[in-house]
Amino acid sequence: MAHDEKLIQKLAEKAKIIRRDAVEMIRAGKLGWIGGSFSQADIIAALVFHHMKHDPQNQEMADRDRLIVSKAHCCETVYAALGEAGYFSKELYRSYGQMGATLQAHTERIVPGIEYSGGSLGEGLSFALGEAMAARIGAPKDSSGRATPRYRVFCIVGDGESNEGQIWEAVMAAFHYKVDNLIAIIDHNKFQSGSTVEDRLNMMPWVDKWKAFGWDTTEIDGHDFEAILTALGNADKVKGKPHAIIAHTVKCKGVPSFEHKNLHFGNITDEMYTEAMKALK
Amino acid sequence: MKLNYVLEPLGEMKAMYQAYHEEMVELSQKNDKIVLLYGDFPHGAAGDLLQKEHPDRVYDVGIAEANLITTAAGMAGGGYLPFTHCHSIFAVGRAYNQIRQNVAFDKLNVKIVLCNSGMLWPFMGGSHQMIEEIAALRAIPNLILVSPADPVSTKKMTRALVEHAGPAALRISNPAVPTIYRDDFPFELGKAVPLTDGSDATIISTGMMLSDALEAADTLAKEGTKVRLLDMHTIKPIDEETVIKAAKETGAIVTVEDSSVIGGLGGAVAEIVAETATATVKRVGIQDRFGQSGTVPELKEEYKISARDIAQAVRESVKKK
Repeated sequence: MAHDEKLIQKLAEKAKIIRRDAVEMIRAGKLGWIGGSFSQADIIAALVFHHMKHDPQNQEMADRDRLIVSKAHCCETVYAALGEAGYFSKELYRSYGQMGATLQAHTERIVPGIEYSGGSLGEGLSFALGEAMAARIGAPKDSSGRATPRYRVFCIVGDGESNEGQIWEAVMAAFHYKVDNLIAIIDHNKFQSGSTVEDRLNMMPWVDKWKAFGWDTTEIDGHDFEAILTALGNADKVKGKPHAIIAHTVKCKGVPSFEHKNLHFGNITDEMYTEAMKALK
Repeated sequence: MKLNYVLEPLGEMKAMYQAYHEEMVELSQKNDKIVLLYGDFPHGAAGDLLQKEHPDRVYDVGIAEANLITTAAGMAGGGYLPFTHCHSIFAVGRAYNQIRQNVAFDKLNVKIVLCNSGMLWPFMGGSHQMIEEIAALRAIPNLILVSPADPVSTKKMTRALVEHAGPAALRISNPAVPTIYRDDFPFELGKAVPLTDGSDATIISTGMMLSDALEAADTLAKEGTKVRLLDMHTIKPIDEETVIKAAKETGAIVTVEDSSVIGGLGGAVAEIVAETATATVKRVGIQDRFGQSGTVPELKEEYKISARDIAQAVRESVKKK
């Protein structure tokens, strides 16, 4: 069923705002991860501004859904989403990545709304698994004997970081323990630091891999809000196994002249800034 | 030789892992936040009981130490108090970054039980005998590192770690060790225990080497050398005040551990004493070598960490004063 057009428009607008704010942050810090930050931006917007249960006014709410961004260097659009949602003042953007900043160059739990301190790739899915298992301890059981989790855990996993063996350790354990409140969204933007994912370490086939490990797996266009919301909704319906959403994304999505290039890490020049702001109007 | 808090004669032989579980049975029944996580490791009395009564508080993630440690961190993020159990060599060797980044960095309330820690794991050989865990973990900010000497101190320490909010690693040796302490001995995290009160020299011991250190102190007492024997059960934060006092009052310190002296207890004590320059420090421990198969007495002999070696190190240190 198609989602409300107004909701889709709202999310598209939020995604633009967080991309713009991410650009401002990178300019303030003089460095940043625009490519991976932009490829996940639509997924982050759908989660933070619609799908997840959370409350910026009650940040420690025990049964809040968790967002774990395992590719934690792509912090700018995450910080921007939390700032836009009201977790902290956007004033903090100005000191991003600088001495004494709350907004460090990789996500850290000291930031309001951030659940996971990343930076060491391949570890976030295990952390998300622990959070998801904790949500089931002592929880009431349904008629089939399944514990009804108090909250869901969404984990953004990079395609490059999936080179790390620990990702697959977590994948096996989540299947073994039937952790169905864990939803991994793979930001498959086809690039990692040094080259394309395929050239660096070919991990094809992505979908079959996750399926073979026993996960409920779907494949979507990670920039199509209708597809994102439908996949997230379907994940809620499938019980007894964890969920993987392989989201095909475009590195640096949102500024056409930057797209499909490996703008992985760096500053945004004046010329790039003008171009980005024009595209993200 | 007058002894403080020590059973005379020494009591029952028991493996530390067993003692840990005996205490954990009660602790995990009382505290419903405790979760026991394993990396294909014997679940012990507490794990077996919890599995029956609260199966959602016991998990074994298989031979996957990195996932073990980070999953525990996630559970702590979810408000629980996880204890992880796997071999020390693999917890520290294969999940060092996870201990550093996922546990210590955010001060998450995870307790890492370093099973079969140290050099004195008989038979297994060098691939399994963990000589560098003290050096490696001591360098991580926010992390407490403790190393009990006997079954009684293992139990007291386990209880203390449940009460202490924050990341900690607990060294648990493999062999059965004699019960040294009386049940009523005062245990406090971060506070060394003086077993004897001499002033000719100080022996600072950690972990299961305490019984050998005690034997050495007794031998020396019979020769007329009065040794101050300290059990440094908390390696980090180390009891600096007691070390400095011992350095000033006795002038000769011998450290004892079943671990590499490089960055180990020997390193930690030498760092403190070097800044005060009030005593010599002789480090009895593993001298930059890997382990090998052997029995505990054979290994102590080969690696020169026996009671005889400790006593000899003290004699040499006293002579230099």
